[in-house]
Amino acid sequence: MGTVTWRLFADLAEVAEGREHTVSVDPDGTVGDAIDALLAESTGLRERIFDGDTIADDVNLMRNGSPADPTESVADGDELAMFPPVTGGR
Amino acid sequence: MDDVGPEGQKRLLDSRALVVGAGGLGSPVIQYLAAAGVGRLTIVDDDVVERSNLQRQTVHADADVGRPKVESASAFVADLNPDIDVVTHRTRVTKENVADIVPGHDVVVDASDNFPTRYLLNDFCRLQGVPIAHGAIYKFEGQVTTLVPGGPCYRCLFPEAPEPGTVPDCAATGVLGVLPGTVGCLQATEAVKLLLDAGDPLVGRLLFYDAMDMTFETAPYQRNPECPICGDDHVDSIDGIEYTSACAVGAD
Repeated sequence: MGTVTWRLFADLAEVAEGREHTVSVDPDGTVGDAIDALLAESTGLRERIFDGDTIADDVNLMRNGSPADPTESVADGDELAMFPPVTGGR
Repeated sequence: MDDVGPEGQKRLLDSRALVVGAGGLGSPVIQYLAAAGVGRLTIVDDDVVERSNLQRQTVHADADVGRPKVESASAFVADLNPDIDVVTHRTRVTKENVADIVPGHDVVVDASDNFPTRYLLNDFCRLQGVPIAHGAIYKFEGQVTTLVPGGPCYRCLFPEAPEPGTVPDCAATGVLGVLPGTVGCLQATEAVKLLLDAGDPLVGRLLFYDAMDMTFETAPYQRNPECPICGDDHVDSIDGIEYTSACAVGAD
């Protein structure tokens, strides 16, 4: 068992009620497992970030600062991030 | 300054920049591009100045309340630097008028406040080969990136906008007054760099600014070979794209 830290931006942090969430994943876990662990403690986030069974087009995943895919492995101590576009300017 | 010099100053004077939006982001962009001596500034905005704008829209003053923002912004530039030619369009940029507004500019600064305009500018400018200094804000956060031909475009990063209503806009949520000042200054910096062909612009990098934590971070992103706007099999025009809701590029 290891832990990874999620960082959430803009409205995602509001839906999940916090900008940072540390979750546990199995040693052979994936980014997808870490998403499941995050969703387990953040009700409402699933509806915001999923479009059907896949991550919505307007939500980007990163692992340790680089674009990531749900199928890739995570390691203990990884930093994962999820961000949407924002559009304000007025 | 060695990296600019008289040649660079001349280059700025010969440049044409389009600023879309004369609000929170547009104010510092207009101010600094005018102060830098960018020879022609085109300003597009359809709004009028309201008193509640003044906490962040710093080219407008109390006496401008009720005045079109393009007029107020134009007067600000004339006061600051009378050598600048200002062209104004009191309208929104739309699919119908974008081809009359954008061509002829060396750089576009996207200081708009809504997804349809941002996707329209991304798509049209990329197809025309015009670079964009992009900035956007949400409450206490900013996102800045620079979109140039050959680099990834905004759709490579976010293929479609969130469904309408998913992300509250600033008008609904409010925004820290000084936030667009910081983000707009970053956009102006990028625009000047593009005009001078200097430095390392924010291409393929998304900069996140968090005013509460006072942190700046950049995250890399790549070109998407399947991007409908800049990918290997991209569309030839924006004719088939709807800019009303999620700004999807249709499959047909």
